[in-house]
Amino acid sequence: MENSKKSAKFYIIGFLLLMSLDTFAQISFKNASAVVEPFVINVDFFVRILSNIWVYGAIAGYIGSFIIWMTLLKYAPVGASFAASHLEIVSVTIVSYYLFNEPLNNYKIIGGVLILLGVLCLAKDEEQHENNKA
Amino acid sequence: MSLFAIILWLLNVTVDTLGQLTFKFAAVDADKKINNENSNNANNFAYWKKLLLRPYIWIGVAFYIAEFVVWLCFLSQVELSVGVMLGSINIVILMLLGRIFFAEVLSFWRVLGILLISIGVAVVGFGSSL
Repeated sequence: MENSKKSAKFYIIGFLLLMSLDTFAQISFKNASAVVEPFVINVDFFVRILSNIWVYGAIAGYIGSFIIWMTLLKYAPVGASFAASHLEIVSVTIVSYYLFNEPLNNYKIIGGVLILLGVLCLAKDEEQHENNKA
Repeated sequence: MSLFAIILWLLNVTVDTLGQLTFKFAAVDADKKINNENSNNANNFAYWKKLLLRPYIWIGVAFYIAEFVVWLCFLSQVELSVGVMLGSINIVILMLLGRIFFAEVLSFWRVLGILLISIGVAVVGFGSSL
């Protein structure tokens, strides 16, 4: 395990980049999803998907976030990284409001907050595992 | 949320979980093989070679490709914000299966996290079905 110290700026930029790429991937997925109908699994179905530019945005976003995730794991505590990698719930919800006219409602807000709290609990657990190993 | 969307959601959890479990299995398998052959040092290159030459990792990749297509279909049926929140259930299912297949411990914080995420997903799913 590498123990090089990195500045706070390194982590903040890393986490923001991770969240941005995850969000970009999901926006790309949503845009690309417009071409999947009709749901008949034939050659044309896959041609429609593969000839949509957004599909490549989604792939690029996934690969990019994977690389950043692995880089962050090398330096940052796994708990914080785990939590950061799931903060996309918040950013995707905000972006969807403006980009796809998806209104916020109480169900989304309450459900989203509960999911986030759950993710924080799991992150806390990872943190303890890490400390036990050390 | 329509019945069709629910089916796609369940299908997504299934292929995601199968993919993750296969990857974990591939990693454990490669590790074991290496340790059987030369117990003195299992170097990185030998590990990756074993990993890529055994079939498991490719089965995992196939599940991931399937998940890519299923996720696209799912998002065509639900709002993106709802889809991403409902997708969080994957974490829960994987943790429960990790306990069954790999004897991973369910600590207090994990159980609490699983409960909160599950209730959150249920609330979002209920809200989007109205």
